[in-house]
Amino acid sequence: MSVAHPAWSVLLALAAGAALLFVRRRVPPAGEALGAALVLVPCGAALAGLVPLGWTAAPLVAALVVAALAQEDADPLPGECALKLLWVLGGALAVSAAGVALLTFATGVASAPEQWAVLQLGLSPRLVSDIALPLALLAGVVLLGGAPFHFWVADVFQGVPAGLAPLAVAALQAAGGAWLVSRLAGIEAFNGGADLAGVVLRTAAAAALLAGAGTILWQRRPERRVGTLASLQGGLALAVLAVTVGRGRPVEQAAAWLVPWGAHLALALAGAAPLARLSAMDSSPGGPGAPLFRRHPLSALAGLYALASLAGVPGTPGAALWLDGARGLIANGRSGLMLALALAWLAAFATVMRELREGFGARTEGEPVPNHVPAAARVALWLSGAGLAALGLARIVLG
Amino acid sequence: MRLPRLPRPKARHVGGVLFGAGLALLLVRARFAPALGVEMIAAGFWWWARATDEPALHVPRWAWLRRPAAALWLAAALDAALPGPGESVAPVAMLGFWWQVQAVLVVWAALELLAALPLARPFSDLPGPLVARGFWLPALLPSAGFVLLWRHADVWVNVDWVRDLAALLLLLTGSLAALRAFGRRRWTAGLRWLVVWDGSLAGVLLASHAVPAPVAALLWVGACGTHTWLLVAELGGATPRRGPVMATLWRATAWTTSTALAWPLLVWGAGGGPGRGTLVLVLGAFSTALATWVGVARMPEAPERRTLARPGSGLSPSRILPAFVLAGAPVALASAWTLGYKPGWLPALVALVPALAGGGAALLTFRPEPLPEPGPWARAGQWARRAARRFFRIVIASERALLGAAGGLLRALSTPLRDLHTGDAQEYLLFLAGVAVLAGLLPLLR
Repeated sequence: MSVAHPAWSVLLALAAGAALLFVRRRVPPAGEALGAALVLVPCGAALAGLVPLGWTAAPLVAALVVAALAQEDADPLPGECALKLLWVLGGALAVSAAGVALLTFATGVASAPEQWAVLQLGLSPRLVSDIALPLALLAGVVLLGGAPFHFWVADVFQGVPAGLAPLAVAALQAAGGAWLVSRLAGIEAFNGGADLAGVVLRTAAAAALLAGAGTILWQRRPERRVGTLASLQGGLALAVLAVTVGRGRPVEQAAAWLVPWGAHLALALAGAAPLARLSAMDSSPGGPGAPLFRRHPLSALAGLYALASLAGVPGTPGAALWLDGARGLIANGRSGLMLALALAWLAAFATVMRELREGFGARTEGEPVPNHVPAAARVALWLSGAGLAALGLARIVLG
Repeated sequence: MRLPRLPRPKARHVGGVLFGAGLALLLVRARFAPALGVEMIAAGFWWWARATDEPALHVPRWAWLRRPAAALWLAAALDAALPGPGESVAPVAMLGFWWQVQAVLVVWAALELLAALPLARPFSDLPGPLVARGFWLPALLPSAGFVLLWRHADVWVNVDWVRDLAALLLLLTGSLAALRAFGRRRWTAGLRWLVVWDGSLAGVLLASHAVPAPVAALLWVGACGTHTWLLVAELGGATPRRGPVMATLWRATAWTTSTALAWPLLVWGAGGGPGRGTLVLVLGAFSTALATWVGVARMPEAPERRTLARPGSGLSPSRILPAFVLAGAPVALASAWTLGYKPGWLPALVALVPALAGGGAALLTFRPEPLPEPGPWARAGQWARRAARRFFRIVIASERALLGAAGGLLRALSTPLRDLHTGDAQEYLLFLAGVAVLAGLLPLLR
């Protein structure tokens, strides 16, 4: 794996999230700070690999995020997001719990590796495992945010404060990956199951990448574009898992990839989310740029670097993750999925360039630019951008 | 304490640096260099466009330059993802497929810059986005396209169907460009199209292996350099066409270099089979005759402004360059001989006919001053020019109609998909239930 120590990335993402608490007020109220810490710290610990993520991580992180958002507030959007998350994540977890229960019922054991070993013996009808396995994986697919379940990610970025959304989304996506890893542990012992899981994951990855590539080009709001980029990251994780499982290899190989992937996701989102808030919405191609880009171009470039890393633009640490996925697909002869990955990457790249051009906009001479950009937001952009640049440098230096 | 603010660089300087660095990167044979080069060229145009008085007009007009850059980024990324020789663990058929994709992407980028794809074909009709210097800038894009084809020939020339398709598109583009140059009244607009013709013919030379690639590049440098210099020199007082001597010298230079570029290709066509050879010969001869005619007949002679030459003006670049270029064309062809190029005498003679006919006819009908009453030949010429303009417009309109229809179909298909969900929270649950049922049913249908 090519991205350096995940704890540093998550620490910087946490610092960026904390900095954004100071955007509205010079000193945030103690209640607000405590509430944010209660969400950000567990999410950060999970993403940094300090807490081992098992199948329990998904319901716990989902419940934590929903509880944090479901508050009476002047702004109704976080509450609406909480409701949507409850519907879709709660529903997905319920369906997957039913699938797991069905597998337990059919095999008589609760542990996933033991279930596959029993199913390999052929003692229970194949029909049950064929239905239960995709259902058991559904929660992981939904949590990873790949299309057609990409809408919740974009909703969170649009409706939740920029300090909270990146870590919450990254933690939920990492929990989705952990759910899939824990459900698929030892599946290489059950050939039919590994094949079926490979098909399910490949289908989910292809849908996530293709639909994400199609929708990101139509998104008008910068926040939703960042959300769709995050959902493309979910598609990338699904592709890596599909390659590992489909070839009958232990899923733990993919689990080792998911830890730095999650940490990088958190850090890149921590820069991309405030940048989206400070970008103009659906500006015309020849219109003037946003105040951030005109008044603080270097801070804007730091945020753009985070966005570019999310999209896997060459020269950013995120590119290494996309390249890992592409190499795995080519090595395993998955041309169709590779094509989807290439299209998604191209769409993500085009989105970054569009953001850059629309952000800087037309050149204006002599007009004073109002400073609507709080210093705390710029600190968050710099923390993310500089952290990612350091990651990229570390990758080059450490080989 | 506030730090002192750095002076804001001028847009034309920043764009120029981006553009120049982009062109230089196209010559570098590193993995991401061509992609970065075309991206910088696109960025240069964008930088100039956003600084014009009408950014809303110019920024979208040149936004298409990101498309070739994107194609090259993908080609480079594929190169990074594909295993190198000896380390392959992937199926050979799959690797072959991706090598073909890579070839398509490189050719796509080059063809788009050479105006050989219907997406942004008429860009040479428009001046560039840089105030006062803009009218020659678009001429550099076809040059970038050819450099791309030449420097990365190993990626696409060995994929048969890509090479043949590229050659066909370039031949058609060459013919269209010559026709457009013939149809345009303005000398500078005609020159921009002649640069497209140069790049297209040189690209076909590469694809056909008619001469070694370095020789094709040398011949292109002569022809394209002449046309570009003429275009750039319009800014500096149109020195190449000041006075009868200079105008004649540059007419001879344009004629010679265009002939030298087209000749090996027409030799290849004349000596080739009845299929490809005939196609190359017919389209190549047509476009060569037109291009040489335009290059000789359309260069208007500007009156000499000085009665006495300025001291030291005898060694101006406009006077020295023709000597180099006129000597360079035979040297390039002679170097091809040393590399084993030996055409038959009959194809060699046949290949000279279109250029001699085009340039010769132009000389025969050339008049420094237009007649007060146009004669029958002049009227026929005007009619031909109008016909060329109309034909080009019909081609462009047809291409746009086809693209518009394809875009409309895509929109018609995608609109219902976008309306699939309204964003209501309850709908999310319904959608999830639907997918869950599907996930349960699909394995049963396997």
